[in-house]
Amino acid sequence: MQPSIDAEALRLLFEQQANSSSARVVAFVGSLVLAGTILELVRRRRLREEFTPLWMTAAIAILVLGSYYPSLVAVTRLLGAWTPSSTVFFLGLVFLTGISLSYAVRLSKLSTQMKVLAQEVALLKSAAAAGSDGA
Amino acid sequence: MQPRGLIVIPAFNEEGMIAHVVAAATVQTGFDVLVVDDGSSDRTAERARGAGAGVVTHPFNLGYGCALQTGYRYAHRHGYEVVVQIDADGQHDPADAARLADPILRGEADIVVGCRFFSGSSYTMPPLRRLGVQWLRFLLRSLSGIDLRDPTSGLQALSASVVRLYTSEAFPSDYPDADMFVLLQKAGYRIRELEVRMKERNDARSMHAGIGVLYYSYKMTLAMIMNVLRPAQRP
Repeated sequence: MQPSIDAEALRLLFEQQANSSSARVVAFVGSLVLAGTILELVRRRRLREEFTPLWMTAAIAILVLGSYYPSLVAVTRLLGAWTPSSTVFFLGLVFLTGISLSYAVRLSKLSTQMKVLAQEVALLKSAAAAGSDGA
Repeated sequence: MQPRGLIVIPAFNEEGMIAHVVAAATVQTGFDVLVVDDGSSDRTAERARGAGAGVVTHPFNLGYGCALQTGYRYAHRHGYEVVVQIDADGQHDPADAARLADPILRGEADIVVGCRFFSGSSYTMPPLRRLGVQWLRFLLRSLSGIDLRDPTSGLQALSASVVRLYTSEAFPSDYPDADMFVLLQKAGYRIRELEVRMKERNDARSMHAGIGVLYYSYKMTLAMIMNVLRPAQRP
């Protein structure tokens, strides 16, 4: 006879098994290190303020979800996922996709601007050369 | 004779107003006028040149702050004693530009800010933006002890030393704003504020609207705190 599986009990088991204090400490320390690194890079003018909102949002999200476990369970249920760990991986992927897309947009703009700049320099060089030839 | 004053006007697609603004600035101040055409697609550069301004044209749009910094670099290179930055949309009165430059030419201040808010002023601002300005005023007072009624005003006069600082890496990634006063005060620059009148403009556009106000407030708060933590810098 096959043993019957209670889906809701299994789900609760998945949720509670991931609730470990060491994971919470790692998330807490990780978020503080991330926020501190962002602020130090801005202070040294190696990161522009306009790039910080996404990173700061990530640091705050890790801090909240890591420190207050019920919030991670709530998000897991909201997303229809079964395990909190898959929610963490999913949110991580969403964040990385967002960052990649935003960099792709900036890179596209920079490529176009660099092309125009090179053309302008070439035209100015040509005009300068024509001017010195005529002088 | 060494040139004394330069009016810097960053302009992006302002062909309708630019000739009038250049002519008024020239007559009212007697200073040289430089229009930084920030990659306009209309005839802004041509109109400015026709009105007698020097024109520097960016190959593409780089933003308000970058256009300002191009003007500062020009001023620094040509040895101007004072630079007054005014907007190209005609909202700033060029007569005020001359008033703002005076304390600098007399050696009494290093940066003079045109304050738009005073009793009797007809200038109005949407409530959310007004709240943002009040927050930055509070933050500036708390962090630096400077009480400016209008720390986000774009109408400012700068001494040659401040202009030199603004051509360095201390210049913000977008444009100089309330955050720079923290840095200037730390470096010992003398900051003054004078009341100025703003002209009405029917199609006035703001750089900050809607959700942009929230982002702007976040960015400025971060930038001001960072400037408190950075070492004092003077060229």
